[in-house]
Amino acid sequence: MLDKIRYFIMRALRNMRQWPFLCSASILTMAVALATVATFFLVVVNIEQLAQRWTKEIQIVAYLQKAPAQKNIAGLTKNLKGIPEVESVKYVSPAEAMKRFKDHLGEDASLLEGVDRDLLPASFELGLKPEFRNQQGMKTVIEKLENLLDVDDLRYGQKWLERFNDFARMLRFVGVILGGFLLFAALFIVSNTIKLTLYARRDELEIMALVGATMRFIKTPFLLEGAIQGLLGGLVSLAFLASSFVFILSRSIDSFWLAPTDFELVFLTPQQQILLVVAGVLLGILGSLSSLRRFVRI
Amino acid sequence: MIQLYNVTKRYSGESAAVKDVTLQIDKGDFIYITGASGAGKTTLLRMLYAAEKPTKGQILIDGQNISRIRSRQVPYLRRKIGVVFQDFKLLQSRTVYENVAFALEAQGKKRYEVSKKVYQALKEVGLEHRLQRKPLELSGGEQQRIAIARALVVDPLILLADEPSGNLDQEVTFEIMELFKRANARGTTVLLATHDHSLNQRFPRRVLTLDKGLLIGDQRPAGMVS
Repeated sequence: MLDKIRYFIMRALRNMRQWPFLCSASILTMAVALATVATFFLVVVNIEQLAQRWTKEIQIVAYLQKAPAQKNIAGLTKNLKGIPEVESVKYVSPAEAMKRFKDHLGEDASLLEGVDRDLLPASFELGLKPEFRNQQGMKTVIEKLENLLDVDDLRYGQKWLERFNDFARMLRFVGVILGGFLLFAALFIVSNTIKLTLYARRDELEIMALVGATMRFIKTPFLLEGAIQGLLGGLVSLAFLASSFVFILSRSIDSFWLAPTDFELVFLTPQQQILLVVAGVLLGILGSLSSLRRFVRI
Repeated sequence: MIQLYNVTKRYSGESAAVKDVTLQIDKGDFIYITGASGAGKTTLLRMLYAAEKPTKGQILIDGQNISRIRSRQVPYLRRKIGVVFQDFKLLQSRTVYENVAFALEAQGKKRYEVSKKVYQALKEVGLEHRLQRKPLELSGGEQQRIAIARALVVDPLILLADEPSGNLDQEVTFEIMELFKRANARGTTVLLATHDHSLNQRFPRRVLTLDKGLLIGDQRPAGMVS
């Protein structure tokens, strides 16, 4: 058994050595295909990551009909914090609101001179826990809020949230469709490259069948070769992704206007890196298998 | 050893390449199959090593009916049969040793057994000193001898040769014939498709003649018992 495995590995390696050009073409094709899919995956993941950060700024502002008495504020805050979806609660008094407004007006703050300090309504600003930063979460909190407070008006960026939800949904949808399409294209290209290598070796396949080699004996070294090439293709694509990530993307991100300054680009997790290499191996095996079916006939 | 009953092979849309052939070949026979180009010699041989299935009729080899053989069984049939072609069918990127060893490796033989047998087979055809050469570095006659060594290294019951001397001059052809005769003397049944009548004149044996797919003649040399 061991003797056989050793023989198959030796034959796979010898075949690769004998056809260095075709072998490198297969490896590079797989590397490019895998790197393209992985790059696309990284773009989707990073946009989602970036969007996730933006949703942090989602908050509900409840304007009260009447500013509560000072002694009730702590009690109200506690009640609001009791809502399971709520992460943070901040009370903004009319005076605080006026101060913010003044700061906002800057040089034009003088316009507010003589205006009543309590003109602006008191409000509560509620931050939501990350898992509830969506339309459904907002709805739940607002329903509970209306039972707890004497609310005059609510502001929660509903339109923005809806649009963001649509965008995230579309991104995922496009990601799945395009990713699937890319993988299919990769499989097609890889299988054709392998077909080319098999075509160059059709004499060998024919002679093997003539001297009484079984299907398994003929196919195994080719599948093994596909797997080795896939493994190398996976590693090359990973190396390419990692180096372009380090040298190009992460250095230029600071000047990228969309990203907050504390935003860090996400790379593939170790599990995803292993998955990429395993995908390479599978791609190699599947590519070989589909081509062998056409070329090996006894 | 080989029995054919009313065997016909028809390729789609063409007239039959082999028509209603019935014949019997005994163990240890040496047979020429002659006929003009397109007479059906190659098709007949291809059916014997299961590269083609007959459209009609039955073929028995060593007691096994191969007319409807499953593709999984084909490799085991081919291990009993050595095949030699006009164009040698050698792997140009492999050495002489590797080309002959290939047939044994394909059958899963152990390494020490492979090297011993390959050396013996190459010695038999007089090429033991060319082990590490590539086929293209050798003459046509030497390449055909490698192909014969590859066919004989597995000790086949039957040796099929399809125009083995088609690309060789007469002197080399006679050398090759000596190799076939020696294999035959050791008990291997030999079927040799050729249109070279000089072979039969020099080495008289039973001759089957095909014409447009029909078996039109079965002659045995004088003194040979039917």
